[in-house]
Amino acid sequence: MKDLEFFRNVSVGQYLESDSPVHHLTPATKFFAITMFFFALFANTGVAGTLLLGLLVALAALAARVNPLSLLRSVIPALPFLGFIALLTLVFQQAKEESSVLVTLGPWQLHSAALLAIALLFLRFTAVVMGIGLLTSVTSEREIAHGVEDSLRPLGRLGFPAHEFALIIAIALRFVPIVAGELEGIVRAQASRGGDFGSSGINPLRKARAYLPLFVPLVIRTLERAEILIEAMEARCWVGAGRTRYATYKKARGEDLIRAGIVLFTIADMAFGLTFGRRLP
Amino acid sequence: MSLIEFRELSFSWPGSGRPAVDSLSLDIGEGEYLAIVGPNGSGKSSILRLMTGLRVPDSGSVRVAGLDASNPDNWRNIRSSLALVFQSPLDQVVSTVVEEDVAFGPENLGLGRSEIGRRVDEALEVVGLSEERRSPPHFLSAGQQQRLAVAGALAMRPRCIAFDEATAMLDPPSRLSILALMDRLNAEGVTIIHVTHDMTEAVRAHRIIRLESGKIAFDGGPGRFLEALDGGPGFPPAARGARKAGLAPIPGEDSRGLAARMVAAGSMPGASMQAISTSTPAGLGWSPDPAFALEAAGYAYLSGTGMERRAISAVSYSQPRGSLLAIVGHTGSGKSTVLQLLNALSRPSEGRVLGFGEDPAAPGTDLRRFRMRAPLAIQRPESALFEQYAGDDVAFGPRNQGLSGEALVARVRSAMERVGLSFDDFRDRRSRALSGGERRRLALAGVLALAPEGLLLDEPTQALDPEGRELVLKLLLELVEAGSTLAFSTHSMEEAALADLVAILRKGELVAFGPPDELFGNSYQAEWGVGRPFAFELASELAKLEAS
Repeated sequence: MKDLEFFRNVSVGQYLESDSPVHHLTPATKFFAITMFFFALFANTGVAGTLLLGLLVALAALAARVNPLSLLRSVIPALPFLGFIALLTLVFQQAKEESSVLVTLGPWQLHSAALLAIALLFLRFTAVVMGIGLLTSVTSEREIAHGVEDSLRPLGRLGFPAHEFALIIAIALRFVPIVAGELEGIVRAQASRGGDFGSSGINPLRKARAYLPLFVPLVIRTLERAEILIEAMEARCWVGAGRTRYATYKKARGEDLIRAGIVLFTIADMAFGLTFGRRLP
Repeated sequence: MSLIEFRELSFSWPGSGRPAVDSLSLDIGEGEYLAIVGPNGSGKSSILRLMTGLRVPDSGSVRVAGLDASNPDNWRNIRSSLALVFQSPLDQVVSTVVEEDVAFGPENLGLGRSEIGRRVDEALEVVGLSEERRSPPHFLSAGQQQRLAVAGALAMRPRCIAFDEATAMLDPPSRLSILALMDRLNAEGVTIIHVTHDMTEAVRAHRIIRLESGKIAFDGGPGRFLEALDGGPGFPPAARGARKAGLAPIPGEDSRGLAARMVAAGSMPGASMQAISTSTPAGLGWSPDPAFALEAAGYAYLSGTGMERRAISAVSYSQPRGSLLAIVGHTGSGKSTVLQLLNALSRPSEGRVLGFGEDPAAPGTDLRRFRMRAPLAIQRPESALFEQYAGDDVAFGPRNQGLSGEALVARVRSAMERVGLSFDDFRDRRSRALSGGERRRLALAGVLALAPEGLLLDEPTQALDPEGRELVLKLLLELVEAGSTLAFSTHSMEEAALADLVAILRKGELVAFGPPDELFGNSYQAEWGVGRPFAFELASELAKLEAS
């Protein structure tokens, strides 16, 4: 018997209140950290560099008193999708000169490069999910919005609507648990009427049709909730431009050092990855 | 000059054929305490949106403090002097920290940081949330959340606050705290407009307007309003009690006041006292073959994650077949969780659940069949309607049971007739175009169409107008009469008193279980925090007077 509980696997938007040093960093620093993290991750530093990044996230999670394993949980729903891509990689792998053939089965050969690509796929995806999961566990939605706003403020002088952009992000994040909650209610209602959403064969049309009882009300309810929120905001004089901000952030002691450390680590990770890790063929 | 003026105002929602507001003229003066009542869809919410410029009228005009509400240039001034508080507490929260949410309005006005700080302090002080200023709003109780919404309104320093059914989703103590806040703000000179379905709440106001199909059907003081209501749907229990005792109802009178008048007038209650005798019907406790039973059942949300939250602990009771059970308790006391466990939509973290003798967690139990045997109508079940046409939506359940053809049509027909929606008239109506009350009943028809043995309903009367509420309650009683077993949750003790059995939950624990006569009579304890039906309040006040 399965629990119809959707929040379990949604770690994005699940901010955990805590008094840890990581929580006390200003949102701008947290944003700087995640930006550099992505930079290092996509600079193609191979298995070793990615592993090192993952280790860093795990250590940061421990410092933030967040269980690294609970961050990993969010990977589970994506496993079938990742497995599918891995399968495609195996079927359509291309022979590269420098990669060695590990297994030969008739016309099909398993190249070491394909295995490496699959390993990197899983590693990178896991690192991304952990990084984002950690950011959202130590940064409340409002801090994320304020962090984006503070980080983008320099662009504001060039006419970029940093404040509006920040609010869009804040509201999008606020809607993650709202949509999950609505979906939970609708699934309960339909399951109670005998709806069965797990097993209607592999015919994609039929499968899609089986999900209509969830999809239609979910879209309608989400739009309704959005309209309620917009009305509530407009009723409180929201117009976008000309706002002031009540919240301010003071940098914690040594925060500039931390930022410098992040830059150094990023460089070190890339150097390490490029030297010791095997680059993607 | 009046604060708000409506002149020949008409408005239709896009896509709806009939006007929501129909050439309405109305003046609301500075400092008034006004209640607006009327059935679902009578135009109450529309006029609140028209006067704040959230909607623009088709014809006619609204002026607030002399400013035309359909002119966008005036919106900022109008919205800062006329604040709205909406029905669902969390839906209107913008920020994830209490004080920053209160600051949202002043931020939009472009005020300086120190001025915003002053206003936030002041608003939080008024609503009594100063201690919670750093908390995330979703950690507050529903009543506190609604007080937060009021603080957000107050921080704009408005001349008028309009409450749009702002008490409808609250439990009795939270309701009272919001009502007391309204009284206090009005005494300090703030104009209060209170849209409500609850006539007991409405008669607290000094002036009541009843809307019907977008027109004013009544405009007058609470005394005349009670006369006009004349015992109809929603008639306040206190007024009903007074009438029974042969006295004229006094608006806003509590049980103590009425008891004193009854003694003074020598009108002794007789009938009403007998109804409150404390005889315990036989067959209570552990019935041998219950319809629903919980055995030391506990449940925690998000168990095993960092956000684990306990919903209920060690709840045990059994409900005999053919009975009606009301589950009451504060918001967050575990009512919905109990209903979900009974429908096997959640699996108990500890203990056991039994439905008609079956344990859904036992290996080999067919969960789909188990759930359809006693389905759950979730809160606002109409939010799960998905088919374009009403009849098709009702057919979803019986189709899942394998019905088709004539048998299916017969099943759908009888379910729709049962909830008072004629099959021939409604089967091809668009489900989204039905009124709020009709959609609720359509959703209930959707579960009744399963021809279930039992039925679980989570706040089935929430947010319905008095007529809709009476229809739903009548339906529940008829179903039990016909042999079904029903369990429903509610915030209304008047509704709970209609049941055979009442379960009172407090912080996830079952603190009382038994027939309403007993629980609300001699065994009643105020610390359950649920209040009790007016008739029982009155009886206890009379008993006190007799004893002294």
